[in-house]
Parts: sequence; structure tokens; C-alpha cells
Amino acid sequence: MKRLIAVIALVLAGPSLAHDGVIHSNTGEAAAHQAVLGLGPVTDLPFDLGGKFTLTDQTGATRTEASPDERAQLVFFGYANCPAICSVAMPLMAEITDALHGAVQPVMITVDPKRDTSANMGPALARLHPDFIGLTGTKAELDHVYKLFKVSHEKAFDDPEYGAVFSHGSHIYLLDAKGKVLTLFPPILGAPRARDIVLKYLGS
Amino acid sequence: MKQLATTFAALAALALPAQATEQGSRIKITGELIDTWCYFSGVMGGPDAVVGSAHHTCALWCSAGGIPVGLLGEDGTVYMVLKIENDDTSASGDTLLSLASHEITADGYFYQRDGLNYIVVSDVISDQGITNLNHEDYGIVPGFALKEPKR
Repeated sequence: MKRLIAVIALVLAGPSLAHDGVIHSNTGEAAAHQAVLGLGPVTDLPFDLGGKFTLTDQTGATRTEASPDERAQLVFFGYANCPAICSVAMPLMAEITDALHGAVQPVMITVDPKRDTSANMGPALARLHPDFIGLTGTKAELDHVYKLFKVSHEKAFDDPEYGAVFSHGSHIYLLDAKGKVLTLFPPILGAPRARDIVLKYLGS
Repeated sequence: MKQLATTFAALAALALPAQATEQGSRIKITGELIDTWCYFSGVMGGPDAVVGSAHHTCALWCSAGGIPVGLLGEDGTVYMVLKIENDDTSASGDTLLSLASHEITADGYFYQRDGLNYIVVSDVISDQGITNLNHEDYGIVPGFALKEPKR
């Protein structure tokens, strides 16, 4: 247990002593730089995000908004074989997962259940990260979740190369282990910055 | 893993104080609705090339594909658009697609989270259309944004 705590303390010390490629010699210097990064002010959003849902993962198991192994969760709405934004967002989620040594779990909720099934999501997600969970469900189940997270999911157009292209939500949501939305952030951030944001909330 | 996550959360709680929350404030911004991925990542070119008419086609692709749309204010500040008028989402809604690369004046509410600026646009007061005609300098950025149909 002592070894475990030492490892975790090192994990925490790392981000606090290094931000955006800058390594600090002490915590005071790190705190000053953290303040410059501007991670402080948080304004309440004018709408609620998240809530209770039940979907099915790539193994066929039922999964709710709560994490079965009590890990914080990074949730993105997309599809497993996406030629567009998912190829930016989901690798970022994998990077954050690695940077936090598995303290968060990446979760993708499909916006294209015809393309993403329990049977075929697994291999594509496993290529991104072995911890990746893919969720799908019935139309009613998915519509309920889209509404909870205010995510659009309409078919935008047919691409001659890739087939149907669905517009979909563009932010990554950070949920705690019980499924409460802690914050959201756009997938355009670099992994170190996204990791720092996640770290800030893991203690709240 | 459960034990690791629990211990991690406990230590993080000691290291980082809980954040106080504030309410959004009213704001009016004039600027261009941009494709934030190409603007910030630099993968398609410098910031002057990935805005305006030069980048309009790519901005449509990115918005439809789920890239968050931003409002680039006249002072260079970028506001991530969380919602605009009747569209419920931050990307790809009909309103945002029709306004991609346009210069608008927006009335709405300003929010800050985690060092990022967000805006919920209540009303697009004016829409000047695409005013930055930088395709005359840069052409189409990137060139492959205009797809050749398959034969």
C-alpha cells in the first residue's frame, strides 16, 4: 500500500511540477505557472448536462452512467470508425487516460448505431486504447442520452468515400465515477492541458 | 483499480481546492465564426489562412463533422460557441453551418471554465456574411477541401 501511495503521489507531483512542457523546481513555482494557465474561474453553465441512462457496451453488457469499477469517465459522442472529428477526440481521450495512469476511462457513445454495434465496435476502439468502452442501444435509449447531453446526431450528408456522415456533439465530457458531469472541454486542446483540466476535477 | 482510483481521488482532493462557481455575464461580441480545430492546431496553415473565404469549405466540413465552432473576436479572443439561437449544440446545427466563416455580432452570455471562454449566443444581431476574402491571397485552404467527385 505504501508503494501504491508513493506511486500515486508521484503521479500527482508530476502534473503539479510540469505544465505544458515546463518543468518546475518546486511547488511554489509550479503553482505560479498554474495560475498563469488560467484554469481557475468556473462559471455555471445555463443548462444541466448528464443524468441517468442505460446502454450496452461492446461486450453486450449493460452499462449505466455509473462506472462499474468506480473510475472517472471521459465521454464523447461519435462513432468507432469515424473519418472526421472522432479521429481527433478519441485519441486525445486515450492520451489523457495514459497520462493519468488509468484513473479515467474513455467512453464513446455512438451516434450511428447502424454502423456501431456491440459486435463490431470493440476492435476499432481497442486500437485506440484497451480501456475504451463503446456504448450503443435502442433508438429510444440513445435519443434519451443525446437529450441528456444536448448532443445533435442528425445525418449531415452522404460522403462518396465514407458513406453517411453524422453531425454529432463536439465536446468531451468529464464524469465522476457515479456519472455526474464535472465539466466539458473541446477536443482541440493539447493532451497536457486536457490532462490538467481533468486533474483539477478529480479532487472535487 | 478501484482502490487506485479511490486513493487517487483522495490525494487529488488534498492537492487541489474545489472551484467556486460564478454565473454567466451578458456580452456582445463582433467577430468571425471559425473552425477552432484548424485555427488552434495549425495543421492546415497559419491563423491568417484558416479563417475567412479561404477556409470556408473546410470550416463547413469540420463543423458538420463535430468540430466546435468558435467566435473570433476583434481583439483576438476566441469564444467557444456552446449554443446559438435555436440550435442546441456547439457544432453542425443548421444555423452554425449557414454562418460558418461569417462576421457576426452576437448578443449572449459569457462563461469561463478551466481557462477557456464560452459563449451562449442568444441573438445574432447582425450577419455581415463572409467579409474576410482571403482566398485572394491563400486560395482554398486546404486545397483538398474541395473534393473531386468519384468517376
